[in-house]
Amino acid sequence: MRRLVESKAFRRVAVMLSLAVLAWLVVLPLRESTTNSTLFSLTLMLTTIAISINWNLTGGFTGYVDFGHAVWFGIGAYVTAILMTKQTSGLGIGWPAFPAIVLGALIAGGMAAVIGKATMRLKGPYFSIAMLGTFVAVREIVRVASPLTGGGVGLTLPPYLNRQLFYYIELGLVVALICFTWWLRRTRFGSALIAVREDEVGAEMRGINATRLKVTVFSFAGGSTGLFGGLWAFQNTFVDPDIAFVESRTIDAVMGTMLGGIGTVAGPVVGSAALYWLREVLWANFLDYHLIIQGLLLIMIVLYVPKGIVGLFDPRSTSIVTLWSRWFGGESVDAYGSSEDLVQMNDSADSTNDHKTEVTS
Amino acid sequence: MSGHLLVANGISKRFGGLVAVDDVSIHVNKGEMVGLIGPNGSGKTTLFDCLSRVQEIDQGKIEFDGVDITKKRPHLVAHLGLSRTFQVIRVYRELTVLENMELSLQWGKVSTAKLFQKPDSSTRDKADQLIDFLLLSRLRNEQAGTLSGGQRRLLEIGMSLMSDPKLVLLDEATSGVNPALVEEIKVRLQILNQEQGVAFLLVEHDVRFVKDLCDRVVVLNYGALLAEGSPQEIMENKDVIEAYFGDDGETDAPEGNDTTVEAKSEGVI
Repeated sequence: MRRLVESKAFRRVAVMLSLAVLAWLVVLPLRESTTNSTLFSLTLMLTTIAISINWNLTGGFTGYVDFGHAVWFGIGAYVTAILMTKQTSGLGIGWPAFPAIVLGALIAGGMAAVIGKATMRLKGPYFSIAMLGTFVAVREIVRVASPLTGGGVGLTLPPYLNRQLFYYIELGLVVALICFTWWLRRTRFGSALIAVREDEVGAEMRGINATRLKVTVFSFAGGSTGLFGGLWAFQNTFVDPDIAFVESRTIDAVMGTMLGGIGTVAGPVVGSAALYWLREVLWANFLDYHLIIQGLLLIMIVLYVPKGIVGLFDPRSTSIVTLWSRWFGGESVDAYGSSEDLVQMNDSADSTNDHKTEVTS
Repeated sequence: MSGHLLVANGISKRFGGLVAVDDVSIHVNKGEMVGLIGPNGSGKTTLFDCLSRVQEIDQGKIEFDGVDITKKRPHLVAHLGLSRTFQVIRVYRELTVLENMELSLQWGKVSTAKLFQKPDSSTRDKADQLIDFLLLSRLRNEQAGTLSGGQRRLLEIGMSLMSDPKLVLLDEATSGVNPALVEEIKVRLQILNQEQGVAFLLVEHDVRFVKDLCDRVVVLNYGALLAEGSPQEIMENKDVIEAYFGDDGETDAPEGNDTTVEAKSEGVI
């Protein structure tokens, strides 16, 4: 079984499957039966995936669990909205969408660099809480700064017509983002991020400039989430503080990443997509209980498969391989078994084998 | 003075009301092996933390290889060629032995462009060489978290050597390591010192280990410098014996060479 999971054929099947899904996503809008609302729903799913990927860069690779990540989404959305609406840009003209969205991303990234430089001195829960605080503070600042942001009333953006275009833009960006993370994980930079996650003091003593690395990656993640915020604002044609800055965007990113496998490249993609469709199915079929079922499922995953869906295929963690051998015996998990019960289970498996050989001899 | 690699003058470090290191001056020459001993809580590890810049110091000045590192960040100190191990072993537990070693490369020489490339084969070759040198080849692809305490010590020593350091601060490299392996570590350190000229400053409780390896020994007690000299001098120093074993040690002991820390410690341990 492990040989199957580690084999090239298995990897090839996984790649083929991903390409098939991608092809389906590319063809989907061209079908007559695909409605605009389906497209918008898919675009939102892509946004969720993108936020999860970005969250995973800091939370998964670098080990800085950011509970306020949605703040960059809101900032991207608001910068875009402010630039595009005539009444507040100060120039008497609204910017076109794309420069506004790009500038929104850059400003979100820049602010992430500044705020990250300050908050990333904190570790563990202190950092998480500081970012939660940043999130709430920025939302309230936006609410108060009404001459610029429209305050609680919000801003209405010029309407747009082409849902298909934005769907394709976001699909392209998400694919690019996945490729980027895949590549980054394989560079020295990516390895150094893992080192910072595993042991920051040790990493610094080995010569890694931890501050620069983590602020760089935090700033990139912020900018990237800001980009999707801007895209969302334009498609939503309306922003106010309570829909641009929503806690659930962070929570969804955390849950999606956990479900898929934290600290992996594929994890946030698989997890967020799964979570998105799980929610749709549960919502449609069990309206009253859907959140309870969703919550229970997540608890089960964290308890029994802490490495998420992707972890099921990683022979080093509690994977399909170990579960298989636990339930059906067979291959041992010696070198990779990390938890104690696995070792115990191994021992007992060994002893039964010994017993068998004794009997046969 | 050109022989000095590390010079620390008047280092003090306080934690609230506790003076952990009190006006300590210490130096290490190029290619020298210096032992740092002292009873528990005498400030050895804190001094290490100060020297490697993991801790801010309250007073004093540290120079390494002619560069003032008193205010430098730890990673820059590492780039200069000062490396260390930790009393509480710091290896990347989720990563394999090889990955641990590869991650401890000489980051000072990695340019921004190289940062975004895959690690090259020379890093891997070097990691493999060191893994062989430290007798870890069998565990090359195991996760560091599954290694025994002694094996992790070896791995951490290997990691500290990956960056071609000029000086390695070894914090209790032999604690929790079985005696046969201790001998092996001793031999390895000697080879490194003699063939590559790596200087070592070692915190150690194994007195014989210090005696066999070190050219010079520095003793701390209550955060202050108590004595300094050749291993033999230190073993016979009455202040040192008193610090380790109290007044009883002196009054009960007969005259002669038996009244050494080594003899005592063997009796106690």
